[in-house]
Amino acid sequence: MTSISTRLANKVTWARLKSPWVLHFNSGACNGCDIEIVALLTPRYDVERFGIKLEPSPRHADVLLTTGVVTTQCAERLKRIYDQMPQPKFVVAIGACACSGGVFKGNYTVTGGVDKVIPVNAYIPGCPPKPEAIIDGIVKLLNSLKEAKPDDSK
Amino acid sequence: MGNGVQIQSTHLGKASIQIPAGSNRNVVKVLLETDKNAGISAITGLDLGEKIGLMYHVRTNGVIVTISTELPKDNPQIPSITDLIPGANFHEREVADLFGVIFQGHPNPGRLVLPEDWPENLYPLRKDAKIDELTTRPATSSFSKGAVQSEAESKLVNIFVGPQHPALLEPEKFSVKVDGEIVKAVEPRIGYVHRGVEKASEQRTYLQDVYLVERICGICNSCHASCFVETVEKILGTEVPPRGKYLRTIILELNRLHSHLLLLGHAGLEIGYETLFQYMWRDREPIMDLTELLTGNRVIASSLTVGGVRRDLKETDVPKIKTQLVILRKRMDFYQNLFNSEPSLRMRTRNVGTLSKEDALKLCVVGPVARASGVNMDVRKDEPYEAYGEIPFKLITRSEGDTYARLMVRLDEVTESINIIEYALDHLPEGPYRVKVPRVVVAGEAVSRVEAPRGELFYYVKSNGTAYPERVKVRTPTFANIPAFLKTAIGGSIADVPANFVSLDPCFSCTDR
Repeated sequence: MTSISTRLANKVTWARLKSPWVLHFNSGACNGCDIEIVALLTPRYDVERFGIKLEPSPRHADVLLTTGVVTTQCAERLKRIYDQMPQPKFVVAIGACACSGGVFKGNYTVTGGVDKVIPVNAYIPGCPPKPEAIIDGIVKLLNSLKEAKPDDSK
Repeated sequence: MGNGVQIQSTHLGKASIQIPAGSNRNVVKVLLETDKNAGISAITGLDLGEKIGLMYHVRTNGVIVTISTELPKDNPQIPSITDLIPGANFHEREVADLFGVIFQGHPNPGRLVLPEDWPENLYPLRKDAKIDELTTRPATSSFSKGAVQSEAESKLVNIFVGPQHPALLEPEKFSVKVDGEIVKAVEPRIGYVHRGVEKASEQRTYLQDVYLVERICGICNSCHASCFVETVEKILGTEVPPRGKYLRTIILELNRLHSHLLLLGHAGLEIGYETLFQYMWRDREPIMDLTELLTGNRVIASSLTVGGVRRDLKETDVPKIKTQLVILRKRMDFYQNLFNSEPSLRMRTRNVGTLSKEDALKLCVVGPVARASGVNMDVRKDEPYEAYGEIPFKLITRSEGDTYARLMVRLDEVTESINIIEYALDHLPEGPYRVKVPRVVVAGEAVSRVEAPRGELFYYVKSNGTAYPERVKVRTPTFANIPAFLKTAIGGSIADVPANFVSLDPCFSCTDR
């Protein structure tokens, strides 16, 4: 017979998979990826049917969706927002800029991709990725969470 | 205008005037007095080696007149023109940030786009700025220190909006000072999205730059590409084939359609009318499909190139586009009815953030914001580019100048855009859609303007006879429109700030570059 704590942990994982709350942060994007994220919430794509909800506060969020290259002014904010999120937390880098720096790599106010500042769990390339690709990325992340234990997240 | 003034006709607008540094105020004043609608479009800084070049691009009688002057590099000082025309405020601060020009008598000098902790005496757009030192700069704290407050100010409550805020899609900070419910002052801190695009474009070829400038803004990407390629074509003397011009016009209008629908939906969200947001964005999706059909991508089109467009329109695609436009036109009738009759929508937007015509002219605002305050201004009419000179359409203006008027101007422009696309499809000329252009651009300089969804977009390009541009200057519409928000928010309720703000259609990735 499984212990109460294991059953509780399973329950929590189940709840997390069924309703991941996401926070969106733009650390210097061109708005291209951002409008595709907003498109996810609107009737054609409607990710709320998967239980995915856009959450305004970092303190309530499970997944951080970041878009855009990280500018030096935003790097500190991005780190702060990540630190404010409760464990376990997951980061999805959306778009070429967030993945690697994209066309802005090497510019004088640019730090680089998101992984230069915080650990990233999933990368979704594209300029910008189509909403279908973003959904696919998030679903893949959720599938990988099935096996994950709470302290697995970095 | 004074001694030492030379007037020439070049690609720098209708006329280009060379003046000595001291007489800038007099010449700007004379030009502003020639037209009651005159304003300043942009101020461009230039590194000329030994000297710093400075250009005032004045918009008068619907055309651009450029005033150029030169300053010594070791001590670049020039009298400020902000008291003559308050709209020059941000332009001067930006040149001060990036080139180190000191504007004597500027009311509030200080950082605009660069971080607060940026090293002194390091001006990124000067050619001799040490790039390596810049990129390895340690990321230090850039939280702005609290300014010394006067006694009257310390009684006000400071509300910070941003950098991360659910109502803002982009990282920007506004500190709103309120007395009870009433806004007393708004202080913006822009520059979080400053990616140094102007510098980066000097290190890439003209062809690569088309893709780079498109990524200044994902929403009005084709407008940026169009403005840049037009400027380069002016220097090259390239004439785009008629079919190319018409295809560009269709792409630009699709861009405007999706941007306006996006904003109208977003405005619904900000005033607490989420159904409107969901409806508008549902109706916007077919426009994204059409953009994909025409260009191969939903958002960043990458379809325009120097000399024409990269893809032709298939004959079989024309009916598909027309069918979608007919559906959208029907939906627009529904929204017209809604905006005219829905009391909650009107109550949240009527008489909110009213910008008078005088203020609109003084602050040099552009686009739908200016047109909602009764200023007749549209680059498509004033200086037709692409195929706009041959296509009949109506210039939409309103006189109220409030948030409601700004939204209604955009709603009416959607219908006009549908008309323009339908006309362009019906009159699409046969023939080639692109001409071959050399990779190396002859030495020269030019300015160009495009009516982006948010207003007049301005580009200046200087070529030095190689495959790489010497200087690319971008002045985006939101950069010109932010002063309008700082002015109209004061005296209003804090609860009206989101509706007022969003009615400018702010885009900070454009503003900061």
